[in-house]
Amino acid sequence: MTTKTSLLKVILLGDGGVGKSSIMNRYVTNKFDAHLFHTIGVEFLNKDLEVDGHQVTLQIWDTAGQERFRSLRTPFYRGSDCCLLTFSVDDNQSFLNLGNWKKEFIYYADVKEPEKFPFVILGNKLDVTERQVSAEEAQQWCKENGDYPYYETSAKDATNVAVAFQEAVRRVLAMDERTDHLIPTDTVKLHRKPRSAGTCCS
Amino acid sequence: MAAEPVQKVLFEHDGVFIHPRSDEDAIEQDLLSGSLRIVDKDGDIAVEFRPLEDAVDPSNMLCAGKDSSSVMAWAQCSGSQYQQLSETQHSYETEWDMVNAVSFRRKPCASRDGALNHGHERSRWAFTFCLSDLRSVTVKEEGWTFLLFELKESCTALPALHFHQGGSREFLDGLRRFALLSEATDDDTCLLVSCHNRALCQSFENLLDDNSFGLVHQKFRKDPYVTTLGGFSKVTNYIFDAFRGTEEQHQRPPEEVADLLGEVIQGLEINQQEEPGFEVITRIDLGARPQVTRAEPLSVEDWTQHQDPEGRMTRVPQLKKVIFKGGLSHAVRRDAWKFLLGYFPWNSSQDERKTLLRLKTDEYFRMKLQWKSISDEQERRNSRLRDYRSLIEKDVNRTDRTNRFYEGIDNPGLVLLNDILMTYCMYDFDLGYVQGMSDLLSPILYVMENEVDAFWCFVSFMDQMHQNFEEQMQGMKTQLIQLGALLRLLDLSFWNYLESQDSGYLYFCFRWLLIRFKRELSFQDVLRLWEVMWTGLPCHNFHLLVCCAILDSEKQKIMEENYGFNEILKHINELSMKLDVEDILQKAEGIGLQMRSCKDLPDSVSSILGFEADVRGSDPMDSGSAPAPRASPRRPDTCSDLHGHLRETTSHAVAFMS
Repeated sequence: MTTKTSLLKVILLGDGGVGKSSIMNRYVTNKFDAHLFHTIGVEFLNKDLEVDGHQVTLQIWDTAGQERFRSLRTPFYRGSDCCLLTFSVDDNQSFLNLGNWKKEFIYYADVKEPEKFPFVILGNKLDVTERQVSAEEAQQWCKENGDYPYYETSAKDATNVAVAFQEAVRRVLAMDERTDHLIPTDTVKLHRKPRSAGTCCS
Repeated sequence: MAAEPVQKVLFEHDGVFIHPRSDEDAIEQDLLSGSLRIVDKDGDIAVEFRPLEDAVDPSNMLCAGKDSSSVMAWAQCSGSQYQQLSETQHSYETEWDMVNAVSFRRKPCASRDGALNHGHERSRWAFTFCLSDLRSVTVKEEGWTFLLFELKESCTALPALHFHQGGSREFLDGLRRFALLSEATDDDTCLLVSCHNRALCQSFENLLDDNSFGLVHQKFRKDPYVTTLGGFSKVTNYIFDAFRGTEEQHQRPPEEVADLLGEVIQGLEINQQEEPGFEVITRIDLGARPQVTRAEPLSVEDWTQHQDPEGRMTRVPQLKKVIFKGGLSHAVRRDAWKFLLGYFPWNSSQDERKTLLRLKTDEYFRMKLQWKSISDEQERRNSRLRDYRSLIEKDVNRTDRTNRFYEGIDNPGLVLLNDILMTYCMYDFDLGYVQGMSDLLSPILYVMENEVDAFWCFVSFMDQMHQNFEEQMQGMKTQLIQLGALLRLLDLSFWNYLESQDSGYLYFCFRWLLIRFKRELSFQDVLRLWEVMWTGLPCHNFHLLVCCAILDSEKQKIMEENYGFNEILKHINELSMKLDVEDILQKAEGIGLQMRSCKDLPDSVSSILGFEADVRGSDPMDSGSAPAPRASPRRPDTCSDLHGHLRETTSHAVAFMS
């Protein structure tokens, strides 16, 4: 299986304005636009990468953060392999809402084992001088909510963005290996079916 | 307005029993206690019986009624198809409850093959029927009262309901509020039911008896689920997958599932009425698409020529036609948009507009002062205002920042954008600020270059777009469904392709519709497209034809490249800024003409486009050349009312949502 390229679907969730689209664009195109439009609807970009000898195509989904658009956003959660819960370190409310985003994701993504699902937490806008959320607070939250990896990122100056996505991929691959050991191969194939490029939430 | 499926419980009585009996082996079963209700489902009166311990609330179920015609159609299968129903129920175990709740024709003793678990065994006895389907109620006494229901289709047998804890009289009184119960001449225990709205019921039954029904019907026998839901869109499959997930995992509260279902049903309401028609009419020949040409934008001279000495606009229908054909030159926009949006009445004089402006200016600043004067302390206790303010700040910083009017730091354009959106929150606090609104305001402010005018023009535009932004996003759902109907007619093979790629619900058009192509076209092209659309010509919902035009240009690529769900979404998203407004408008107008001249146009389509409102066969676009004064004013220009803000466009926008 390692010779083939797997398609992994990751989804960026978090309050409006925390920088989800900027993180995605920084990672995929290595560009930053401070005045990027806020996202309407959903968008996604693909990025090929290699992690620990595995060829992976990351399909990164970006959504509109406002509560009002929930019903039109949530169908796209299904089939996600990893979820990047994002807040902005200069916006305490966006940090407080992490729990809600996690809940919303688990609820709509139809995650079989929520406690084992690979979440990665991103505290974005590290470049901003006035922080409202300390690194300790954020780490504490991650520890208490499922021992999630936490990265402080800056889409603006590219800090930790690639690292965070690589970690996300590692977490997913680790999940896979675990499942490979536990379940006969044909079942794994069924589970992996969404990976055969092109389909995701169908 | 398309209301949410509201269900009002009009009567409820617990402690009503069914006496289950097995005819063959006479195994004693416990009496089955349940709750009997009379409910109002969007105007349909129905009777529901649910055994206790039924986890699923019947109020969440589809109900046989006018708003879910296909469900009703299915439930009306005759006895021979009944067997097939129960097979379906086995293969769709988790949907079983739902199926059961609508299949009021189930004979309670019919399927007894033990495959059902205990929970299903109970819910098997649940039933619902519309009052209009009830032929009679027979009242029997056996130390307690029990009622026998006979539905109009004689094959139906519902279990007797035993009122061991009283309440039968109250129940019958409840029925009497909505139907006439009269004793049969030969049997005084039998009460014949006649519905108040019998005519309506009758016509509906006829509709189902129609030949067209057979096609739907067959499809239903194969797979009632896919037919019902597939008709709407594949997004429902997500929702049903989610529903299935619940059953397995027991982690989602039922009311949330109900929310999801509610959304589905909302969509279905609109669509189901069309379904039989589309099943019959497989392909309609639209004929050749007429070539149309665009014209030059309206100049300042043209505009002033349409003003009389007192400043009233004259020959408005012709003026609108010119604007539709070529748009406006930029110098005219600031004046003309106020009329097009309905802020200024067309027949107002210069003086009247001055008075209006004074009033509107006062009103604007009164509302602006309201949020300006809120202290930090107050705001701390007002989370909604706080949220609106925070999101507006973020979005203003992310709206058209490359446009000279909004670029750089501390650009006054940004302050105005912010202040107008905040004031709009005070104008319509229920709606407040929803993402996308800054996109709608930005071009208006750019053209007006005036805070007060921009605000009121924005208010007018929002009147048209309001439903897009409301909590349930009904406007979006309605438009996506309407667009589906148009596309199906325009190119069935493309439509089928989209359906086969799970894209039949056209989610990829979401951004187009939410903010009227604001992100798809260059800023200048947006101005052109919007002013053309605001003329209300050449038909209702012209923006949907614009969608059709764009998709028509992309369909070949989409199908040739065999794009799947994701690729279609990506492809459409990436069309942004690559489209040419004049090409699109030309094509959209052509499609409109093509549909207008089609003799077999389905009613649903002609109602979406508002053709039946026109004089039969007359095209409002033809009228301009003829001097005849009858020049088909599709929407009569509203008379002037200087104190009320004119909303002539509003009624047009919601015409199909009622």
